[in-house]
Amino acid sequence: MKSIQVRINGDLYEREVRESKTLLHFLREDVGLTGTKEGCGAGECGACTIFMNGQTVNSCLVLAVEADGAELQTIEGEAGPNGELSPVQEAFARHHAVQCGFCTPGMVMTVRDLLQRNPRPTREQIIHGIESNFCRCTGYQQIVEAVLDVTGQLSDTEQEGLKYV
Amino acid sequence: MLHDFSYAAPTAREELFSTLARHGKTAEVLSGGTDLLVNIRAGISTPLHVVDLKGVAELAELGFDATEGLSIGACVTVTRLLDDASVRKNYPLLIRAASELATHQLRNRATIVGNIVTASPCGDMSSPLLCYGADVEMASAAGTRRLPLQEFITGVKQTVIQPGEIVQRIIVPTTFCGGTGNYLKLKRIKGHDLGVVAVAMLRYGKKIRVAIGSAAPTPVLLPEFPSDATAETIKEAARAAISPIDDVRCTREYRSFMVEEFIDRLLKEVRA
Amino acid sequence: MYEMTPAEELTTVGRKSGRVDAYEKLTGHAPYVSDMVMSGMLYAAVKQSPHARARIRNIDTSRARDLPGVRAVVVGEDLDYRVGLYVVDKGILARGEVRHFGEAVAAVAADTLLTAQEAVRLIEVDYELLDPVLHPLKALEKDAPLVHPDLGDYSYMEAAFTPVPGTNIANHTRIRKGDVEKAFAEAEWIVERQYTNPSVQHVPMETHVAIVRWQPNDEVTIWSSAQSPFTLRNLFCTAMKLPHRNVRVIVPYVGGGFGGKAGIGIEPLVAVLSRLAGGRPVKLTASREQEFSLLPCRSQLTYRIKTGVSSDGRIVGQHMTMYWDSGAYADYAVNVTRASAYSAAGPYEIPNAWVDAYTIYTNKPFGTAYRGFGHVEFHWGIERHMDLIARVIGMDPVEFRRRNTLKPGSRTLTGELIRENTGSVEKCLDAVCASINYGTLTDKEKRRQQRTGMKIGKGVACFHKAPAMPPFTATAVILKMNEDGTVTANLALTDYGQGSYTAIAQIIAERLGFPVERVKVAFDCDTDRDPYDWQTVASKGLILSGNAAILAVEDLLANAYDVAAQALRCNRIDLAHDTEKVYIKHHPEAAVGFRQMAVGFAYPNGNGIGGPLIGVGRYIAQGLSHLDKATGQGNPALDWTYGAHGMIIEVNERTGEYNILKVGSAFDVGRVVNPDSVRGQAIGGMMQGLGTAVCEGYIYDEQGHLLNPSFTDNKIPTSVDMPLEIECMVVETPQIDGPYGARGVGEHPMIGVAAALGNCLQQATEAEITHMPMRFEDVWRAIQKKDPVDNWITKSPYGSCKSSPQVQGHHPELGC
Repeated sequence: MKSIQVRINGDLYEREVRESKTLLHFLREDVGLTGTKEGCGAGECGACTIFMNGQTVNSCLVLAVEADGAELQTIEGEAGPNGELSPVQEAFARHHAVQCGFCTPGMVMTVRDLLQRNPRPTREQIIHGIESNFCRCTGYQQIVEAVLDVTGQLSDTEQEGLKYV
Repeated sequence: MLHDFSYAAPTAREELFSTLARHGKTAEVLSGGTDLLVNIRAGISTPLHVVDLKGVAELAELGFDATEGLSIGACVTVTRLLDDASVRKNYPLLIRAASELATHQLRNRATIVGNIVTASPCGDMSSPLLCYGADVEMASAAGTRRLPLQEFITGVKQTVIQPGEIVQRIIVPTTFCGGTGNYLKLKRIKGHDLGVVAVAMLRYGKKIRVAIGSAAPTPVLLPEFPSDATAETIKEAARAAISPIDDVRCTREYRSFMVEEFIDRLLKEVRA
Repeated sequence: MYEMTPAEELTTVGRKSGRVDAYEKLTGHAPYVSDMVMSGMLYAAVKQSPHARARIRNIDTSRARDLPGVRAVVVGEDLDYRVGLYVVDKGILARGEVRHFGEAVAAVAADTLLTAQEAVRLIEVDYELLDPVLHPLKALEKDAPLVHPDLGDYSYMEAAFTPVPGTNIANHTRIRKGDVEKAFAEAEWIVERQYTNPSVQHVPMETHVAIVRWQPNDEVTIWSSAQSPFTLRNLFCTAMKLPHRNVRVIVPYVGGGFGGKAGIGIEPLVAVLSRLAGGRPVKLTASREQEFSLLPCRSQLTYRIKTGVSSDGRIVGQHMTMYWDSGAYADYAVNVTRASAYSAAGPYEIPNAWVDAYTIYTNKPFGTAYRGFGHVEFHWGIERHMDLIARVIGMDPVEFRRRNTLKPGSRTLTGELIRENTGSVEKCLDAVCASINYGTLTDKEKRRQQRTGMKIGKGVACFHKAPAMPPFTATAVILKMNEDGTVTANLALTDYGQGSYTAIAQIIAERLGFPVERVKVAFDCDTDRDPYDWQTVASKGLILSGNAAILAVEDLLANAYDVAAQALRCNRIDLAHDTEKVYIKHHPEAAVGFRQMAVGFAYPNGNGIGGPLIGVGRYIAQGLSHLDKATGQGNPALDWTYGAHGMIIEVNERTGEYNILKVGSAFDVGRVVNPDSVRGQAIGGMMQGLGTAVCEGYIYDEQGHLLNPSFTDNKIPTSVDMPLEIECMVVETPQIDGPYGARGVGEHPMIGVAAALGNCLQQATEAEITHMPMRFEDVWRAIQKKDPVDNWITKSPYGSCKSSPQVQGHHPELGC
């Protein structure tokens, strides 16, 4: 066991942790923040995406001990202090960019990272920006539209959505 | 769940090498962890000790100078390489391959050196580094040694690295700085995937250099060609050098075909 | 119900409305079983077979049992239970013989997951290897080893299925309509082909997970990522011989299902571990790798179609044989077989039809329900076949389809009469043709071809599907008014992402005349709290639970009106209501508020009447019947949802590489309840279909080892794999017995996508691809006329011919 100190969503946590524990399992089991999900455990699906020192990582491929002293942000820190949804979350809600919800926390982290690096990504940049995160339900389109909307770029046809014939 | 192991993150070189020497074969070196932790989870790797390199500050150095060239320390992540102005300017082929490597999250952790040390035939960085004539510098308690990359990787996931030894940096000489080229990778989907087969081509002055991934037990560097070499000459050399296999990802036949297709496309591109 | 209400009179149904579960899911607060921890909980791990078929000589668990922290170890010999949805053929763990790679042979519960996994490593199994039966057609040969020698002793659902003891046939469904041989004799053309698809994996983002607590007094609580809590309870109680009252199933948020979580899975195994551990709760979370072999997949299909066509392009007769490879256990595959058989021809009228559909046991991971329930697989065959016939007879594929679509007055394979309100295939087909400019290249497309050097291809596919369910499928909704006039609905239909709860909330709000914010559809299904629902499958939830919801509102309002009539001293018939109150129509000031009545009305002096306002809505499918076992005739379809996809691709004719430029899809949904949800299903399903078309599939070696059980070699589509353009369209032909005219569309978008791609590829390159998926290499091989790669175990003969002397595309194997 090793003692580590991490700041998660602004709060300081000090814990004894097994050396072999991943940061994902540390968050979910030791800290009790279960918003971050495990989809594969092998860095392929992006469901466990969190911020570590300002960069997104697959928390399943980071040891908790490696995060000693790190600043982490997870989905639990995304909404405002009174629980109000962030602009990205609002846009996801507005566009039904959520179905089963299991990829959603990681996807929101990825989108926020994308917007930090590129506040007004083109449609193609959005598509490449979320490539790292599998979503089996939505087919991604409504997620892309949510990001276009939150950056003020949604076209009228996309706003329209379903076409009645 | 990962099996139990000890974890050490030495901050000084001496401490690092003495720790590695003490643990010998029972230790694995950790830098980005994007291969190591996957292998531990799958039971392919079962270290008793994991030794993290990231505590040693000098291993995180990325630098370029006009005499030595580019020096990529063991802990330099793919993202850092991608963001580096001197790499973008001098080694565009590295940028092309690095941006094809896995996903953004993985690139934030995965290291260039790790991609080489893993020695997978489909490692994205091997082919472009071979084109640039990169060397690998290893270090241990006994000292340092330096080898050309093609001598470093000896087989599928095999290298010359010894217990107690690490790759401390990759040195990419300036010989081909300013060359143009590209990296083409056949994938099964358009999204992130490992290379089913990949070809890197670099044109520098009157020379063309070609390296091929996922088509032999190791990434393959072809003999250097004059810049007016015909496609057929290069393909013939490729055919002689590669030995692709049939597996779940592709057949030998299609791999061979696509290597030649990529050679055609790249040749057209570097001559344009 | 209320199907003729004009759209402009509807205030909630058909309008945009946010998902009821968005907040919980977007903030990470929604609890999934994978997030849950109970006090005293143990963790389970499973020992899986590395072989496809082997006799278990001995299992040595002693070292596992000795490991500190291990609380229970179980092997197949300890468990005298059989589980099965339709054919009761599966042990909780393998007993005597393992039947597929990855089958569970032993399990452990321990204090920590690490200990459980270590204990599993210490279990030693002595196997005697046996030759596996892998190819479904070889499994039908006389001397083939039997996967289930005891098939004749198994119990099964006799009204629907026909196992053939002494063979590997778990079910044989027959459909007989008219005289096929006579039709073939009169046909101008006969076209015969065989189409195959491999097994694929659902890939819900949340893997299967269950926590079970089996108390020493035989009271059992199951928390599971399951789609169908009541079917899970029923199958569990039947297998374990427990009274239903003893067993409670709780399903909180579920991270995707797609059919893979429809029946019963790991729950019985976790339950016996809990019992052995003295009633401590035990949790088992499948790893991603276990999803591919411990848990079921989608069945492989080999589909042979022989079609007789008249000189004017009408199908006169069709002979269809389906070989469904169910793998080691029958599970849902027998019902996939049945449902596919009665829909086998696609949305076309076939006057003379003959279908033999077989469910075949092999030594591979077993097949279960998967979005589309067989229709994705056989529409690959039928919709490729429609194009191939059109090519053989020299007619445009869309025109050929138009001539043969089901229309009002047509009869289906089972003799069901198609009516005006059934829906319109043709309108969907027209819409997608317009969407892709079918039959021509626009100037922009011509320029693109010139620029890229790639060839643009266009193609379509139509489809139909009815819910595959027992004819007497039932559900119920209980609606309770709260003190403040809001309402809470309880139902056991689960929402694992489809958006059903949002639609049900809208339907309830519409019928009540309340704003949707005043309606809650309660998450967490609980068999002890919620009324019965059969299963959350088959795209039947919207119709059945939607109707039950309307009936629950009617009942609640009737109760409210009764109380109001008494309180206001008037006739019930003179009452009306608005969002706040029930009032007398001709004296609107005489009113009683919903809040006053919610938990019982009290007069000023304290006398009370009424009691809490509750509405109960019970609904059962109407007028459906079993199919006659000899002829397949009957009425199995609650409703038919029709649809079509149009696709534009560009392909490199030299290498087989291709890009998908556009997919335009249209569905006759009856009535849109929530446009964004419809679109979410439409696009999500289309992309899932594209995954199976482009890259997904199980690959085995000749010993039956699954070679690609992870995301490393079983890719699924990413955002970059989206078509460049997507257009989603709906046709609204109201369903008379649908809520506000709506019908289900959850599964349908996935159907036909692969065939549309295959048709595009052939149109552009002449490559005749008859197997899925279509990897670049497969396209290249087909263009080069090289043998297909056979790592799916699917080789097949094919051919076509004309009745007149000139034989086209003749194939000697067929002898025509």
